[in-house]
Amino acid sequence: MMSRRFLIALALSLLPMAASSAYAEVCATDDAEREVCLPAPAERIAALSPGATELVYAAGAGDKVVAVVDYSDYPPEAREVPKVGSHTRLDMERLAALRPALVIGWVTGNPPEQLETVESLGVPVFYLEPRSFEGVASAIERLGELAGTREVARREAARFRDGMAEIHERYADRSSVRVFYQVWDEPLMTINDEHLIGKVLSACGGVNVFGDLDRLVPRIDDASVLAADPEAILAGGMGEENRQWLTHWEQYPSLTALRRDNLFFVPPSLIQRPTPRLLEGSRLFCEKLEKARAHR
Amino acid sequence: MSRLEACELVIDVPGRGDGRALTLSLEPGQVWGVLGPNGAGKTTLLHTLAGLRAPRRGTVRLDGEPLAALSRRRVARALGLVFQERHDGFPATVRETALIGRHPWLSPWQMEGGEDVQLAEAALARLDVAHLGERLVNTLSGGERQRLAIATVLTQGPAIWLADEPTNHLDLHHQTAVMALLAEQAAEGRAVLMCLHDLNLAARWCDRVLLLYPDGEACWGPRDTMLVPSVLERLYGQRLATTTVDGAPVFVPVR
Amino acid sequence: MHIVRHALGVTGSHRGLGRPIGVLALAALAALTLAVGIGSVAVSPGELWAVATGQGEPLSRTLVLELRLPRALSAFATGGLLALAGALMQVLLRNPLADPYVLGLSGGAAVGALAAMLAGLGGALITGSAFAGALLSTLLVFGLAHGTGSWTPARLLLTGVVVAAGWGAVVTLMLAVSPVERLPGMLYWLMGDLAYARSPLLPSMLLVGVCLLAIPLGRSLNVLARGALQAAALGVAVRPLEWTIYLAASALTAMAVTTAGSIGFVGLVVPHMLRLVLGNDQRLILPACALAGGTLLVLADTLARTIIAPEQLPVGVITALLGVPTFLYLLYRSR
Repeated sequence: MMSRRFLIALALSLLPMAASSAYAEVCATDDAEREVCLPAPAERIAALSPGATELVYAAGAGDKVVAVVDYSDYPPEAREVPKVGSHTRLDMERLAALRPALVIGWVTGNPPEQLETVESLGVPVFYLEPRSFEGVASAIERLGELAGTREVARREAARFRDGMAEIHERYADRSSVRVFYQVWDEPLMTINDEHLIGKVLSACGGVNVFGDLDRLVPRIDDASVLAADPEAILAGGMGEENRQWLTHWEQYPSLTALRRDNLFFVPPSLIQRPTPRLLEGSRLFCEKLEKARAHR
Repeated sequence: MSRLEACELVIDVPGRGDGRALTLSLEPGQVWGVLGPNGAGKTTLLHTLAGLRAPRRGTVRLDGEPLAALSRRRVARALGLVFQERHDGFPATVRETALIGRHPWLSPWQMEGGEDVQLAEAALARLDVAHLGERLVNTLSGGERQRLAIATVLTQGPAIWLADEPTNHLDLHHQTAVMALLAEQAAEGRAVLMCLHDLNLAARWCDRVLLLYPDGEACWGPRDTMLVPSVLERLYGQRLATTTVDGAPVFVPVR
Repeated sequence: MHIVRHALGVTGSHRGLGRPIGVLALAALAALTLAVGIGSVAVSPGELWAVATGQGEPLSRTLVLELRLPRALSAFATGGLLALAGALMQVLLRNPLADPYVLGLSGGAAVGALAAMLAGLGGALITGSAFAGALLSTLLVFGLAHGTGSWTPARLLLTGVVVAAGWGAVVTLMLAVSPVERLPGMLYWLMGDLAYARSPLLPSMLLVGVCLLAIPLGRSLNVLARGALQAAALGVAVRPLEWTIYLAASALTAMAVTTAGSIGFVGLVVPHMLRLVLGNDQRLILPACALAGGTLLVLADTLARTIIAPEQLPVGVITALLGVPTFLYLLYRSR
């Protein structure tokens, strides 16, 4: 009994060696500026944030994802993958039992102690946190490198880059629209120009009225919105429709955005994660701003 | 046996003048009664004599050594205190409470032994509370708690007793029993000093008396020279009638 | 209550100290075994035995030896530290409602840890900074409570509560001004959970050390529980003893907070429950607190990581859900 188990263990421990002779070592630099190398492309990947899950699928390695966390709902296939808790509290046992060869961590989203434990178990962690369009594209490429799906990843990254470039080009000469983007209503929150959503806004020729604020996600009040008097108000939020957020502004008839009927809802799922879906989200954003221009 | 001396002692009662400094000696075999109206500083004097409060001036000496220079443990082996008020934030049984009297006699690593338990049991029996051994202290009546406090000091077995109103809450029978116990302690060569409200208990059981006035004035001496009706009337601001019962003077307040 | 006392062999303060400790030690061992044996991934008893004897599959070894065991030991040490610190604080303040956090210790530790995170420090520096914050809070409270006037438990308590409120405000301020990328780390730290615990070595050593210190101090603590004057009259050097208790309780709490953040209820409820059952002899209560507090937190953490796995619950929720009804029942049953 014991000897059979030993033989299986021996066989399992020899497998990676056999594999490494067949494939070459793969390396990529993560968003914590560390070089992560694997003896062979990862066949089992754990993605510890909903955004990372999307990126791994985008890189063409969706069939290699063995573990995800709560709210990993895109692409729909990701819902069928075993969950290992929430991104704030990982079920380390399930994670270990799924034997990932690579863990995609979220620099500011996962508890650092738990990611350190993952590394101490001998599983490499690739930290991901794209903060720009180029960051998203390169994340897809780097994941493709580590997952051995370089070609698919390159194509997807190129599609994303080209799409964003096209948007930049199309709206570069359009007249600017002063925009307030509402992240949340209670408390009232917006984003500054450093935020990816802020970058989407400027790509569409919008000017974020709170773009110069210091904090990435500043808290503001109604008065500062009235003072800034944006030409359009875009609201995101948690669910897919939050009309009452917009009706809130109807109590202020002096608002230009209200007078011109420029209160828009944008589904947040398209832009809240740093993933290729940003492209679709950006197109939607730009359409809203076009409407605002038409209302002049 | 030990003696406790006060040398030019002025107790620290905030906002009061120095009054008269006390120089007196509590000798083995003596029973002192401290009398005075409310607020005269009787409890403060007792705590100062026990080294629990710093005096404003002067020193207290135990067997010739200043109290402040001695360890609390050394002091606790010679001096026992019956407090007027007692705190019990946490529940404890009567037997456990009596046993803490052995604290100054045991080393930190020692547990209470059979001998300590015997001492505590004997003290509880002597104060007529042995049958309450397993009861929680906070379930006792005022008189039972008073007797337990005295039993604790009896378990401690000090050479000098400082007792603050030892007959508080006690019925007549137990008042007499407690005074007899203190007199017996003195007869065995220990010294006793107690604050009293009852002039008649002082007249019957004490051989020395210290009178404390609210302004800090004081006088002390043998009982018969101190318990003079005119002096006591001035001390309490109260007219008294005097008679003699059973060979001792009895003072009764009159309207 | 007497029935329970008799069942545990505690009829007087002076005998039978060993039996309840033995019972609690067995319970602790059982809880640790359970914690190592169950998890969100099943490991069969046979496989568990294989791991215990140095064999077993690599995955089982990882689960049991690298994930469950260190976490169970951290939970035990943290629970023991908190219960012991609570018992000491209660004697120090002569107030059965005191808990390890009452004098602003966890607030000081939180400010220390968050400041280190804001400064971009990591790992051991955060722990060290939290520890320094807790000790700073200790000295601040004790120094202020001392003041120019007299020192009383009530004054100490009031000073501690006010200082704790001050730390609370500083924590909120730090969260409000910190850059968003540091925010999650700070929030995890404040939540308190054993999932984020590191090595159990230091807290375990401190726990054993303070338990050993408690043995010779136990009887003095019993006397101190009757009030400072009574204790002084019975030969206790009150001020040095109070300093010792305070520093020991502070070190215990600081260590617990830096191991697993602030976890409520253990420090308040465990000493209380034990007093209701075992009486109030500190020589028994203090080691019993270390064992029972550890056991409670090990059980709570085991539930927290398995009950709705793979979702992981914060352990403080479980300690409250287990502790509150048990405590209320014991209180209701006691006289």
